[in-house]
Amino acid sequence: MSWINLLKINIKKEIVMMKRYLPNTIAMLLTMYFLFLAMFAGIQIIGDPSSQDVHTQFVIVNYIFWSLSLIVVQDIGWQITTEAAQGTLEQLSMSPMGVWKIMLMRLIATVLANIIIIIVLLYLSMLTTGQWLNIDVITLVPIFVLTLISMFGLGYIIAGISIVLKQIQSFLQILQFVLAGLVFIPLTVAPFLAFFPIVKGVDLVRGIMIDGLSWHSINIIDYSILIFNAAFYFILGLFFFLYCERVAMKKGLLAHY
Amino acid sequence: MEEIIEVKNLSKTYKKRKSKETITAVNDISFTVNKGEIVGLLGPNGAGKSTTIKLICGLLIPDSGSVMVNGISMKEKRLSALSHISAVLEGNRNLYWRLTVRENLEYFSGNRGRSSKDVASEIEDLLDAFNLKEKETELVNRLSRGMQQKLAIAVSLLADSKVILLDEPTLGIDVQTGYEIRKILRDVVRDYDRTIIISSHDMGVIQELCDRTVIINNGKVVTDDKVENLLRLFEVRAYTITLGNALSNQQIQLLHQKFPHLDYSHHSLESTLTVNLTKAEEFYDLFEVLKLEHTPVESIDRQLINFEEVFLKIVNGRLHNELDQSS
Repeated sequence: MSWINLLKINIKKEIVMMKRYLPNTIAMLLTMYFLFLAMFAGIQIIGDPSSQDVHTQFVIVNYIFWSLSLIVVQDIGWQITTEAAQGTLEQLSMSPMGVWKIMLMRLIATVLANIIIIIVLLYLSMLTTGQWLNIDVITLVPIFVLTLISMFGLGYIIAGISIVLKQIQSFLQILQFVLAGLVFIPLTVAPFLAFFPIVKGVDLVRGIMIDGLSWHSINIIDYSILIFNAAFYFILGLFFFLYCERVAMKKGLLAHY
Repeated sequence: MEEIIEVKNLSKTYKKRKSKETITAVNDISFTVNKGEIVGLLGPNGAGKSTTIKLICGLLIPDSGSVMVNGISMKEKRLSALSHISAVLEGNRNLYWRLTVRENLEYFSGNRGRSSKDVASEIEDLLDAFNLKEKETELVNRLSRGMQQKLAIAVSLLADSKVILLDEPTLGIDVQTGYEIRKILRDVVRDYDRTIIISSHDMGVIQELCDRTVIINNGKVVTDDKVENLLRLFEVRAYTITLGNALSNQQIQLLHQKFPHLDYSHHSLESTLTVNLTKAEEFYDLFEVLKLEHTPVESIDRQLINFEEVFLKIVNGRLHNELDQSS
């Protein structure tokens, strides 16, 4: 029950902040949309006309996932550095729930609160380009959730680094490009990337949304890789975070910025 | 009385980033806190108070030693131990400034796993008790520092913990709010059945609120005693003697030989001697010197020593002298 209370209060905080700073929320959505328009214009101007439709569909899916991964992975890093500077990180660290649970609930809350923005962005992108993707919710949801779990693992790694180092703004900026690489590079170009976080999930989502794959036409090996990646990166991220938390408690870094 | 906090042989060192020099913040500290007590943690800057508080809160891992909270080891069962402790460590910095008063109360209790339904009536009570009801929808960054401090204490109460640690609860707030906070803390112990550990530079807070004081200096416990005992220890031997005439040079010399810490001042209207006597019989020695020139004694006043002076004497190493002399 305490887990649910923790989740509920973190969702509430996310929504309160989004509503309270509505102009900021709208500006974020518009920035994401304008960036997408720039990509779309690029395809229209310099792309091969014979494959423009497919490229546009690729860009929509990739861009939506990239935006989501930025929100999830980067946001947790920003949150930690901000909380350390504010002085609230110590208060969270004193919760009998454990910081890792609070961070997990925050990650989930961030996704749930931002999913509306992502959906709006998706439909705006489809509307602008006239490319309507296959939205097979039943097939998409489990793959999306498993991909998110590996994303959470990355989030924990970023949170762990932030707890110890604090000033990671430049690192977070580099991370944007790393995430773009993971999302935009197709598996056909670099098959080994299937074992990297997010990549397999995005590949399958592209298959569903662009090629119309359904849950039964997806290979069991693909599902297995997806499940393995989700479990591996989540556990890796969690252990890394717990290790960093311990280092911070040994060195007295929880309150320092 | 039942012990709720046991600090045993606690030590913590840090390494300086650049010089890699090791600094001992806390050095083999031991003390206990009983249920329902208000204990003051005193010490000069850099004495190790905040480190001790953070070690008790489980925010720092000690190099050696242990902290038990309500019988639970902070080292072995940190999260269980944390359910019995809450703290206000940096006052207004412990709050979310972009959330309202009520949202802060709800958010922090939710982060401890408490349901908003369970805490709803407690929040109402706290808003009333802390005079924050009118400000419940106000963003924290718009509150005065005193109000923010009160809210931080209310947040710590809502944690439903048995022990509350307060690091400098009256730092930087005005006299009236300081008075209000002292009243609140007294009520907290009486009405909410909590144990409080206060670290403060404000001797008034310690003297007024605390049952017992643990004084730390250079990372070590210098004394652990009741405030009134410490006051009594120093108070009984300090006297101010007003004289009718000025003392002769010979008298001053003799007095300084017998009482090295004696202060003598002479003005046109009166002469005063301030002396710390180690034994009552030393009065006879003093009077013998006065008798040499038939110096009249107009009054003898026992000095009322305040806790600040006691504290300074203790951290300056005078405690052991006093204890040796009294024994």
